[in-house]
Amino acid sequence: MKQELYDLADKAIKIAKAAGADDCRVSINGERFVEISYRDRRPEGIKEATSRGLQVEIFVNNRYSLQATSDLRPQALKSFIEKAVASTRLLEEDPLRTLPDPKYYQGRKTLDLKQYDPDYKKLTPESRHSFVGAIEESCLAKGGDKVISVSASGYDSYSEQVLMASNGFDGYVEYTAFYGAAEMTAKDEGDRRPADYYVAIAMIRQDLPRPEEIGAEAASRTLSLLGAKKIKTETLPIIIENRVVGQVTSGLLQTMSGRSIQQKQSFLADKKGQKVGSEKLTLIDDPFIPGGLGSRTFDDQGIAAKKMVMIEAGVLREFYVDWYYGRKLGWEPTTGSPSNLVIPAGKRSVKEIMKDLGRGIFVTGFIGGNSNSTTGDFSIGIIGQFFEKGEIVHPVSEMNIADNHLKFWPRLVEAANDPYPYSQMRFPSLVFSDVVVSGL
Amino acid sequence: MKNMSRRSFIKTGATAIAGTFAASSFLPKGWPALAGEKTGGYFEKEFGITDELCRKVLSEALSKGGDFADLFFEHTITNFLILEDGKVNRASCEVALGVGIRTVKGDQVGYGFTQDLSEKAMLAAASTAATIASASGQKPATKFAPLKTKNYYPVTTLLSSVPLESKLPLVQSLNEKCFSLSPLVRKVMVVFHDQERRILVVTSDGVKAEDLQPRSYLSSSVVAEKNGRWERSGWNFGGRREFSYYTPALVEELARRAVDRALVLFEAIQPPAGEMPVVLGPGVTGVLLHEAIGHGMEADFNRKKISTYCTMLGKKVAEPFVTIIDDGTVPYLTGSINFDDEGTPAQKTVLVDKGILTSYLHDRISARSYGVKSTGSGRRQSYQHYPIPRMRNTYMLGGEASPEDVIKAAGNGIYVQDVANGQVKIGEGDFAFYVSQGRLIENGKLGAPIKDVNIMGNGPKMLANIVMVAKDFEFAQGGGGTCGKGGQGVPVGFGQPTCLVKSLTVGGVRG
Repeated sequence: MKQELYDLADKAIKIAKAAGADDCRVSINGERFVEISYRDRRPEGIKEATSRGLQVEIFVNNRYSLQATSDLRPQALKSFIEKAVASTRLLEEDPLRTLPDPKYYQGRKTLDLKQYDPDYKKLTPESRHSFVGAIEESCLAKGGDKVISVSASGYDSYSEQVLMASNGFDGYVEYTAFYGAAEMTAKDEGDRRPADYYVAIAMIRQDLPRPEEIGAEAASRTLSLLGAKKIKTETLPIIIENRVVGQVTSGLLQTMSGRSIQQKQSFLADKKGQKVGSEKLTLIDDPFIPGGLGSRTFDDQGIAAKKMVMIEAGVLREFYVDWYYGRKLGWEPTTGSPSNLVIPAGKRSVKEIMKDLGRGIFVTGFIGGNSNSTTGDFSIGIIGQFFEKGEIVHPVSEMNIADNHLKFWPRLVEAANDPYPYSQMRFPSLVFSDVVVSGL
Repeated sequence: MKNMSRRSFIKTGATAIAGTFAASSFLPKGWPALAGEKTGGYFEKEFGITDELCRKVLSEALSKGGDFADLFFEHTITNFLILEDGKVNRASCEVALGVGIRTVKGDQVGYGFTQDLSEKAMLAAASTAATIASASGQKPATKFAPLKTKNYYPVTTLLSSVPLESKLPLVQSLNEKCFSLSPLVRKVMVVFHDQERRILVVTSDGVKAEDLQPRSYLSSSVVAEKNGRWERSGWNFGGRREFSYYTPALVEELARRAVDRALVLFEAIQPPAGEMPVVLGPGVTGVLLHEAIGHGMEADFNRKKISTYCTMLGKKVAEPFVTIIDDGTVPYLTGSINFDDEGTPAQKTVLVDKGILTSYLHDRISARSYGVKSTGSGRRQSYQHYPIPRMRNTYMLGGEASPEDVIKAAGNGIYVQDVANGQVKIGEGDFAFYVSQGRLIENGKLGAPIKDVNIMGNGPKMLANIVMVAKDFEFAQGGGGTCGKGGQGVPVGFGQPTCLVKSLTVGGVRG
């Protein structure tokens, strides 16, 4: 299919050019996926499709637009692109809107990122059903008589993407993706029916945990939420579990883009070279992790990927600057978006850290909440476990933490030894001191 | 990648959404017209989708048995015009074309979709959907009866027929207006969004329903600077509106609100933490109802016994002055639909009638399981998704009190003006919503402005704790409310009068 996608990209560029575009960039995706979910030991839903989409960015007379369509009938596509070029001409002029200087395409690595699983083709309807069935069984078994409802699901997909720019860029990626997931709802006191889930995502099927582990983990997580209480508002140390650390770092990441900075929506805009966190905070953008969910050799503008240290021992080093906002700011472009994010793991397990801290909250989930990118203030609901004398006492609900990123990250005191492998954000659990946890 | 979390969430778009206009003031004379009059036959004319072809594809979808099958054709055109740094220098357009084919067997669903509307591609997708069943084939209805419904969003001029030359001055004028209102304004971003979603639902039991769902909004995001401090806020107006809705007066009002909201933040503080009385101002604070009760009333969660409300039908859940409605029939509101994405006409569904829990929100599958009629709540993001029970516009009716009395009754607490987003855990009923703007209440009077605080509560507890409802009901007139559930986003609306909740947990900064 690779050649077919290349031919289509080539054709789209020709149509745009013939219609008067100075330049254009085309991205075409093709995907085939199967998703199966089980409940009550039988299929609840089976979904399957093959789809395609084309996106074209048009540059004409210093004007810019982005167009996307799933209507790829030849005549429809031709008229779509021609109309797009014509309407782009009517916009206001912005000379900074161009394709990147081709020198930024150079230096692209040629390495196998292990994102395509050759065993994908061996999947059969039977193997898919037995995988999901095994997840459900193990969740039901572990959940025992507390189970109200269990659903399990499995997903696999094969995708191809071509990116082509009229000033001399073309790139192709082919990848597979798999997930297994379970969620359980349990009986609790009164009308409370706590639920939790577990999902593991990987690009190589072998990298997923066994289905039995996925189901059992979902059940354990749900059972741990039984009997949740609110405690009094108190200043405590908190440990944020690896899989949800990403929700707190997103408040930092959204302010690290060239656009946020140029549009005066970033509290980090003038902090390059300054301390924004404790020495324990190092944040690395690593596009070359084999099998990484965000691994790549070029970004969506064709800029060659490179490993970057974004924050080094608490000092802000880099931003995500794409070509356009780089020109607006007068800065060198880096890349427009994160690839894989890594915070180096520490030495101790969460359990050991808990013993050491004595009293605090182990945050295993968040609810609601938001972060103000202009000021750094945030407020977010937490779900987790209250621990005392190093042991878990009871789960907590309806509680909240509120802080400011510039005051919060300096209180990062430790990273645990448990980097989370099933996400683009490979973060370990993180420990923060003196956090106001509001409740009763 | 799919998010497996059953937590549902709401986002109100890039900027705040709200409004203080009563919906009725925008109603044109002669409403409502009949849907289907101008929209019928679109898919046949443009894509050759005949009844005969539909019947063939439905037959394939039912070839292995199955109780029911449907086809959902969609052709949606979505446009954005964006002004940044004084120039309308970015535009985007997305065309989504495809058909989703569903086979239902009991509560089991088989689903396939294709972007290729040829007979061959549709038959292949139908045979995928069919695999959910394994019995002898069924036959679809021999005739399809076109569905006639009221039209809750009649338009005289299609958004797609408004030339770019007319939209540009609108966007530019909002930018200029924002800058003219204060020298502290440093950056303005304006977005004009318009969408035309054409759908055709054909069911194996003989329903054929065709609609054109317009949607648009105009939003402004303002960044201001004062003594080296920066703040940002915004506003938008929209709904199932046509272009003539965006008058110069509306632009002026939008600019004023966006700028005022940004400037007041220089005075705002984060409130104290802990449990306290919370007064919800009118309009967009209806997000609270959406999270605290709306999601928990979606029948799929109750059918599976995973909603905290699943044992409460017919029981008293709130004081007698509390009536909560989910309604697809509010003229021009974002969440309104003429019929749902399964071809069931829209309706007004009373969730809580004078304090008593009365009805869940049903799609066809849950309605059959409960032995009731669908409430017209089966909605989907696009042809790539199968429908599930969803909210439309969720609101609480007004009461007797004056808003001032409600604030006075709170004593000391907080007043919520603007909500950015919310989330709920269905099983526990625990919910959160993020207050982007509000005020302290001190000794029964409004005090200092507050911002950036998450409020937590529990649905059933919160309902029982609504102790006072004012008479100032209004719908939020924003166009950017999108509700997420099961990986699908659909447009929704809100409405609410000022009301007092005795106690909620305020996620402030001090103990």
